[in-house]
Amino acid sequence: MTGPGSEVWRLPPLASLLAAIVLIACAEVGGASMAKFKLELTRWARSVILARPVTHGLVGVRDVDEQVIDEALVKFDAGLRLFHLHAEGMGLVIIATTMTAATLVRAAAARRALIALLTVGGAGYPFGYLLWSALIPYHGIQAGKTVAEWVVWIPFGGATIAAVWWLTALLGARLIRRA
Amino acid sequence: MRRPPLAVVFVGLLVIALGETAGAVISELRAQIVRYAQARVAANPQAHGLAGSAEYDAEITARAVYSAEAGLSFFHTHAQGLGPLVILVSTVAASAVPWRRARGALYALLALGAFFPLGYLAYSVAVLEWGRETGIETVERYVLAPLGSAAIVGLVALAVLVAIGRRRGWAA
Repeated sequence: MTGPGSEVWRLPPLASLLAAIVLIACAEVGGASMAKFKLELTRWARSVILARPVTHGLVGVRDVDEQVIDEALVKFDAGLRLFHLHAEGMGLVIIATTMTAATLVRAAAARRALIALLTVGGAGYPFGYLLWSALIPYHGIQAGKTVAEWVVWIPFGGATIAAVWWLTALLGARLIRRA
Repeated sequence: MRRPPLAVVFVGLLVIALGETAGAVISELRAQIVRYAQARVAANPQAHGLAGSAEYDAEITARAVYSAEAGLSFFHTHAQGLGPLVILVSTVAASAVPWRRARGALYALLALGAFFPLGYLAYSVAVLEWGRETGIETVERYVLAPLGSAAIVGLVALAVLVAIGRRRGWAA
C-alpha cells in the first residue's frame, strides 16, 4: 500500500470501520424490531402519554385527546423509522468518506481530524432520532425534538456536515491545482 | 482496491455534502420553506390554477407545498444514498474492469448519475414555479429520467463488463 494520494484506496482506521458496521447493524436491528414489536412499542408509548396528560395537553375529552395521542404516536413511529434510515445511510457515508480522507488527505493532522469528525459525527447523529422517539412519550413532540437537536443533531450532524464540506473543499482544491 | 479518478470521488463527496446540508436545512428551516413555497404558489396563480376561492386555493396550495417538501426530502435521501454508491461502485469499476476506455465511459455515466438527486431539487422549484403537474412532468422527463438512466446504464454496463472480464480471467 502506498501513501496518501495513491491510485489505491487506503483503509480508514479500524475504529471508523467498526463504528460504521455497528451503526449499520443497529439500523438493521432497529428496522427488524420496529416491525416485530410495533404493537408493543405503540402500547408502551400510549401508556406513558396517558400517564402524562399535562405534558401532552390532554383535556379529558376523548375526541380531542385521541387526536393528540395519534399525532404523538405518528411522530414516535417516525423517529424510529428515521433512525433506521439514517443509521443505514450514515454507515455507508462513514465508510466512503473516511476511506477518501485516509487516501487523499496529505496532511496528517487534517486527515486525523477529518476521520474523527466523520466517524463520531456520522455514528452519533442517527441516535438523535432514537432519543427523540424515546422522549416523545415523556416530554411531548416539540420538547423532545429540542432536546434531541441540542444534544445530538446539532453537535453530531454539524460535525459531519463541516467535515464533509472540508473534505470536499480539499479535493476540489486539488482538482483545480491539477487542472 | 483501486481508486477511481479524483473527479469521480469529488462528485460523490459533493453530492453527500449537499445531501447532508439539505437534511439540516429541511429540519431547521421548515417553517421558512413552507412560507416561501406558499408565497411562490400565490405568485404563480395561473400555473397552479388558483380560482380565487379560499377553500379551493388553500387545498391546491397545500398540495403544491407538500410536493415541494417531498422533493427536498427526496433530494436529501437520494443524495445520501447515491453519493457513497458512486464512490463504491466506481471503485469496483476501477478494480474489476480491465479496459481503459470502458472504465472511462463507466466513470462518466456514474458521475452523471450521481447528480440524479439534484433533479429532486429542480422538482421542488418546478412544482412551485410551473404548477404541480407541469413541474413534475417536465423535471421527470428532462432531468430525473436522463440522470437516473445514466446511473442505471452505468450499473448494468459495469455488471456486464465485470462478467466479461471474469470470463477472460482478468483480475485487478
